[in-house]
Amino acid sequence: MKALRLVVYALLVAGWLALAWLLWGSVVPDGLALPHVDVDTVFGKALVERAARYERFLLVLWALGTAVTLATLAIYARYGDRFTEESAAGPLGTGMLLGMLGLAILWLTQLPFTVVGLWWSRRHDVSHLGYFDAVFGDWVALGATFVSVCVALLVVMGLARRLGSWWWIPGAAVFTAVAALGVFVAPYLYTGLDRPDDPGLVARYERLERAEGLHGIPLRIESVSERTSQANAFAFGLGPSRRVVLWDTLLDGRFSPAEVDVVLAHELGHHSGDHIAKAIGWFALFALPGALVLMLATRRRGGMGDPRAVPLALLVAAAWALVTTPAQNLVSRRAEAEADWKALQTTHDPQAARGLFREFAVTSLGDPSPPTWAYVLLDTHPTLAQRVAMADAWAARQGR
Amino acid sequence: MSAEDASHPVRLVVRDDRRRGRLTVLFRLILAIPHLVWLALFGLAAFTLAFVMWLAVLYERRAPRSLHAFLASFTRYTVHLTAYLCLAADPYPSFTGSKPYPVDVEIDPPAIQGRWGAGFRLVLAVPAFVVSSTLGGSVAVGSAYGGAVFGSLGGLTATIGLLGWFASLARGRMPRGMRDAAVFAIGYGAQTTAYALMLTDRYPDSTPGRSEPPPELPAHPVALAVDDDLRRPRLLVLFRFPLVVPHILWLTLWFVLVLLATLLAWLVALVSGRVPRFLHRFMAAFVRAVTHLDAFFYLVGRRFPGFVGREGGYPIDLTIAPPERQRRLGVLVRVVLGLPALLLATTFSSIALVVGVLCWCTALATGRVPGGLRDLGAVSLRYQAQAAAYALLLTSRYPDSSPALQAPPPVPEPALLELTGLA
Repeated sequence: MKALRLVVYALLVAGWLALAWLLWGSVVPDGLALPHVDVDTVFGKALVERAARYERFLLVLWALGTAVTLATLAIYARYGDRFTEESAAGPLGTGMLLGMLGLAILWLTQLPFTVVGLWWSRRHDVSHLGYFDAVFGDWVALGATFVSVCVALLVVMGLARRLGSWWWIPGAAVFTAVAALGVFVAPYLYTGLDRPDDPGLVARYERLERAEGLHGIPLRIESVSERTSQANAFAFGLGPSRRVVLWDTLLDGRFSPAEVDVVLAHELGHHSGDHIAKAIGWFALFALPGALVLMLATRRRGGMGDPRAVPLALLVAAAWALVTTPAQNLVSRRAEAEADWKALQTTHDPQAARGLFREFAVTSLGDPSPPTWAYVLLDTHPTLAQRVAMADAWAARQGR
Repeated sequence: MSAEDASHPVRLVVRDDRRRGRLTVLFRLILAIPHLVWLALFGLAAFTLAFVMWLAVLYERRAPRSLHAFLASFTRYTVHLTAYLCLAADPYPSFTGSKPYPVDVEIDPPAIQGRWGAGFRLVLAVPAFVVSSTLGGSVAVGSAYGGAVFGSLGGLTATIGLLGWFASLARGRMPRGMRDAAVFAIGYGAQTTAYALMLTDRYPDSTPGRSEPPPELPAHPVALAVDDDLRRPRLLVLFRFPLVVPHILWLTLWFVLVLLATLLAWLVALVSGRVPRFLHRFMAAFVRAVTHLDAFFYLVGRRFPGFVGREGGYPIDLTIAPPERQRRLGVLVRVVLGLPALLLATTFSSIALVVGVLCWCTALATGRVPGGLRDLGAVSLRYQAQAAAYALLLTSRYPDSSPALQAPPPVPEPALLELTGLA
């Protein structure tokens, strides 16, 4: 049995490394040297200082919030199993109850940080969201999170009760399948998206789409200007459900058409680079060891088949997410950098890219050059300074 | 009558035989017009004097006898009139509220009251007003709000009045369950009126089935058993709504299958006169699961319910008898026959919602729910479950709206000496 276990582990490690190597590939030239960017010159000293001050407060808030999260979950892991008495729902239902209660407690403890963070963003005119909406508008989202946790616990506990300590292998596979399904259906469930009413924008988008070897991916506009002044866009969906979404704040006149084109090309770059499918692959790679850690950590509480292990499982899951965040951010930044590079290859307009990233610093108050620890722990995108540097590097390679 | 009820200063007494004169039933609302006009005048005088009473109680801690008698008459009058309007009683009521009536209240003489409770009486009475409005048990409550007298008869009694009107016209009798439910609502309304008018400082008791004599609870194929305490952990109370979201999704999916199963059961029952056992089990589990969920959501039950509607799996549990032979004609027109029950079930669901909101606030503050409200919620859930079971062909017995949660204790056999008059 021990030999079998070793063989399984060896095969999984080999498979893990092979898949990681496959997913790691990028069209960004190997050894591309990014030139130094003087952020004070590019973004302006006053803006850099203002953005740094803005972000510093949010970083402190994040650190405090994370500490409170872990402390709360640690206390819940210690005492949470008392709530098993409050359930008449059998082991699986009781596990769901404990999972939802853990999240509810966490939501309560994070509420002050949400409110303070919102106050700070409103003070800097980055967010227009009301306090009431921030606190009570999230009840539906909280309900949706509860459902997700219930489904996850149903899978884990159901498998653990049938397969014992081997549940983590099929468990990771099921999670990945559920994640893929979620990614596929998300565009169909996402509400509040409109078709663009600017024929010029549509024509430019279709030209960029063809240039990236794509066809028939709908462009949609999301109206967020009542909630925030930040500018953003995103790509989501898989296969026939693929979409590119622009926030209407990108179209309010603060960004030139050429800058908007860079954004569109960047998002299309995610689709042409199969980044979303790759993200699911990375999800599987992180889920597998995560499930193993969960199995090992909860063994002393009777394993994941026992609802009393759920509070501890929440703590382990949160800690695992925190520990692996730098690695996940590294993967994300690599995909974003590739999308930036594809955008430059498509638009051939490094000037527009530089202008776009400068304007991002203004509208979102993003620190162009954040502290290293914050960059490692929190940034899913390259820094604005790095993105400007990439535009410069691309221009230099083209002899511009 | 329990000892607790006996000690309540406002007690409901019922001497109604359920017989109704069809002619007076037909013209009931028209016949009541003089009373409604008189109620407006009587109410004006009563609420004016209630202010004087309030000052007197604040000063002396006891109501003056003359004022107490006047306001007690007004309270009794509202009971008589409400009972007459919703067909809980048949005789034309007197205009003074001083003569006996088949649905009546006994009100204790003035007693010492606390000044704080008296000072904030109207604020404290708000939850009772809310319950009373939902039950629609008193024509006086609307006046207490300062609203129209005519608009105050609503909720449960209005629905019962409407359904009872058809039933009484057809049969010359008021159905027992509906009469008893209306009487319960009227009793609660009387206690609320008496509390608001400073006749007593005892809070209205929403425990169903507190009347003299207690209402019957005949055996029914769909029965509800309550085996739960009143404690409610605050954390589970605070997050009640998000906690039930997974159940709601699950039951919505289940409901789609239940609809298909009902259609199949209907066809089979039309041919064979009986619902197949496996379909009966499937749909009964659904009705139980919904009842368990509702009990948890409205804080009638304490513990988080299961997902499969297992019998005996929850402290507020529903027992559903095995499939029985049903008359084919009844099966054929079940949808039509079920409409009155579904209308009343809708009213009971409003009551459950009000119970849930009030219990939520109370439990968040105290960690407990009031026993009376919990029992009222349980009665509401039982009626809804019986209506659902009837609509889904689980039983051919019509839902019973009796407000009792338990059958009254059997009357002891009189001793031989008592029988012969020698005691």
